[in-house]
Amino acid sequence: MDEYIKKLLVAAGEAGITAAEVYLASSDRFRAMCQQGVINNYTVNSTRGLSLRGIYNGRMGYAGTEAFDDESIAQLVSGVIQSATISEDDSVQEIYPGDKEYPDVDNYAPELDSVTPEEKLDYIREAEKTLLACDPRIAAATYNMISTASGTVRIVNSYGLDLQMRDNVFVSYINALARDNGQSAGESAMCVGRTFRKEEAVRTAKEAAEKTLFMLGAEPVKSGVYRTIFDPYAMGDLLGVFSGIFSSENAQQNMSLLAGREGEKIASDVVTLVDDPLLKGGFESRAFDDEGVACRTLNVVEDGVLRTLLYNLKTARKAGVKSTGSARKAGYAAPVRVAPSNFFFKPGTKSLDELMQDVGEGLVITEVGGLHAGANPMSGDFSLIAEGYTVHEGKKDRPVEQITVAGNFYELLKSIRAVGSDLVFPGGGIGSPSVDVGELRVSGK
Amino acid sequence: MLSQKTAAAVLDAALRSGGDFAEIFLEDRRNNVLTMRSSRIENVNSNRLHGAGVRVYSGLSSVYVYTNDTSLEGLLDCAARAAAAISGPDMHKAAAFAQTQCPNVHIIKELPSQADIRKKAEKIRAAGAILKMYPEVVQGIINYTDSEQRVWIANSEGLFKNDLRVYTRLTVNAVASNGTENQTGSCNPGAMQGFELFDRTVDPEMCAHEAARTAVRMLHAPLCPSGMMPVVIDNGFGGVIFHEACGHSLEATSVAPGNSEFSGKLGQKIASDRVTAIDDGTIPNAWGSENIDDEGNEPTKLVLIENGILKNYMIDRLNSRKMGMPVTGSGRRQGYMFAPTSRMRNTYIAAGNDSETEMIATMGDGLYCRKMGGGSVDPSTGKFNFAVQEGYLVKDGRIIHPVRGASLIGRGSEILMKIDRVGRDMQMAQGMCGSLSGSVPTNVGQPMIRVSSLTVGGAK
Repeated sequence: MDEYIKKLLVAAGEAGITAAEVYLASSDRFRAMCQQGVINNYTVNSTRGLSLRGIYNGRMGYAGTEAFDDESIAQLVSGVIQSATISEDDSVQEIYPGDKEYPDVDNYAPELDSVTPEEKLDYIREAEKTLLACDPRIAAATYNMISTASGTVRIVNSYGLDLQMRDNVFVSYINALARDNGQSAGESAMCVGRTFRKEEAVRTAKEAAEKTLFMLGAEPVKSGVYRTIFDPYAMGDLLGVFSGIFSSENAQQNMSLLAGREGEKIASDVVTLVDDPLLKGGFESRAFDDEGVACRTLNVVEDGVLRTLLYNLKTARKAGVKSTGSARKAGYAAPVRVAPSNFFFKPGTKSLDELMQDVGEGLVITEVGGLHAGANPMSGDFSLIAEGYTVHEGKKDRPVEQITVAGNFYELLKSIRAVGSDLVFPGGGIGSPSVDVGELRVSGK
Repeated sequence: MLSQKTAAAVLDAALRSGGDFAEIFLEDRRNNVLTMRSSRIENVNSNRLHGAGVRVYSGLSSVYVYTNDTSLEGLLDCAARAAAAISGPDMHKAAAFAQTQCPNVHIIKELPSQADIRKKAEKIRAAGAILKMYPEVVQGIINYTDSEQRVWIANSEGLFKNDLRVYTRLTVNAVASNGTENQTGSCNPGAMQGFELFDRTVDPEMCAHEAARTAVRMLHAPLCPSGMMPVVIDNGFGGVIFHEACGHSLEATSVAPGNSEFSGKLGQKIASDRVTAIDDGTIPNAWGSENIDDEGNEPTKLVLIENGILKNYMIDRLNSRKMGMPVTGSGRRQGYMFAPTSRMRNTYIAAGNDSETEMIATMGDGLYCRKMGGGSVDPSTGKFNFAVQEGYLVKDGRIIHPVRGASLIGRGSEILMKIDRVGRDMQMAQGMCGSLSGSVPTNVGQPMIRVSSLTVGGAK
């Protein structure tokens, strides 16, 4: 690959591309599912994709390829030139010469790469067996999956910068279906990490069974206004959908209502939102962002005050600030945008039980659905199908489903009364503890 | 490009450990995207996707291995890795390839790769200029995308076919704002066509007007009330409700393992008499059509529900084995990175006989959904949730005023039985459907329909 990259950068330079960057992503993945004892969706792959970005006549152009034949070099170079020529983005853009120092981030556990396919298949077989043995009302594992991925990202540019990071991850996910007296319920549990532990198969299966059985017989509550706690999973999902409002790119394009509000109070005093790319063991931990800028920890919101938005090189230059190391591509060939890394509500001191005691009568939401449809990241409005349980006299009471919770995320940030201590990252870089969000409109029966 | 000689060698290698079926899918795809934000064309990107996947079955077990390395060595390595993960009692040999030419019913006049990029930029600028005419529209995102996908499919039963799929699409999203609140509107037409899409089918200016109109109207709309009420859903993208709430539950992916609420219900009444629903892969140049599916099977026009009776499921090759039923040309995948599975194509509720004016006039108090947003469903329970992009409050059979922030919630089986009116004018609209085998182009469609009662989630 070194030879190809060298040839490509030379060809780009000769064609008049004044600064160029090669971004190479490669990965090996394994994935399998098990249902009724049969292994299916067994998928293995090794792939690589490369993109070329470069400045031509002062503008940035992009092109990508997965074929590495001779034709592809000419295609990439002419693709970048064509892209830069048509582009009307006249903001100053740059290929980054590099930072003096980069933090030490270890995202790679070599032991994980040596786990054999047979051990992984045993894991999901065991998970399904455990699940079905939990209770006669458990009818099936509707989804029972294990996957591992191991990959590298490399950024090489015409200024001589050559950065590489390696990471791997293990994910298992099981969804249980329970039936009883004509009623059905389905709930899931997952495990994400860099250590493969067989015992997690049993733990996740039992967790999924327990959650599912509890939900049997769930009913909507009466429509009305309820004092509401979001558990870490529900709050993490909500924060994930609305994390884009902290992007300077969205703000500069009038797509976030946080535009121009740095330094202002936007949330209640108990809210601190952290973006921490250096988090040990974090799913999205990294030493450098997708433009090669060194990453650092940020308090995006501190005690309710918006301290900073997230910036990449282009948006930082436009705003007259320094990049926060938040440049992000959705894939090797995607344009450079802005996104958080490990992004979470800084935990408080109270457990979920203590939060429920403070609430007395209300609801705990454990799952929100229909996020891509029912949440509008631009207005902050959300109206989401939800489930969870009622809180009665400060304790977990009856299961609830088929309700919608509706509100506005900007308003919700201001109405947060307490942030719990139980921080969880449910399956990615977005994390949250349980959060008492005050009163919310609920539509049910 | 895949030669028969290479394909034969790969299939033989894939069957080496006792697999009873093997397939190779090779893809070379060129995608172009141009994006306008803030009235400027910002992102212009070309990408070449290239790779192959090898699939092996032994009974009901399946293995899929894929790679970008499509040299003979790369493909043989892929086949060897697949074979290593599977074992069967008997050795099978791949059959000799039959010479099969796949007929092309989707005529392409101007390949996107042959169209000047400046012409593509002009279409975006035309839409952008219209959005500028609306003072409350503070942001517009306009995308032009095209794709030329060349595929070669060969399997151990002697199938060897190739196909070219060409897609062109324009998407316009408008954001209207009053400073404290934002609302969106969209218009996203596309077809299995080349650049000639813009000759007749799609007018970028009209798309922009449509997107802006919805966004502005919703900006001035009060919040939607919540509760149970009758709901009328308009034609076109309104069909997303059938797609999400019922279509996914008729895919073999959820039917075969018994996870669907419609499992085991063939021949039974699952919808009101007025409902006939069809999944059709044969419509010339339609967004969700095909010459062959991604397993090389012939396309079909499949009646899913006829006058309320469940007639067919959508079945891919692997699930056809599991269910003991024939394939329906429904094996689809985003590309070489996915093993195919049963997916929808152009899926719609067929036109009925009810008058559109009558169904609103006689609905009493309820909600009229002119445009639907996206949605999702849990196939095991049929529970769904849809956003209403443009809704109107109906009082005493008369449309009173627009309302924002509404969503529709329910179960697929329940809503099908509660459809009490089906209008006459069926229209389709384009979407990208995400599922196990990735994101594939699908048409949703329906005439205007009425649901006698449905939970409306509102913010009021």
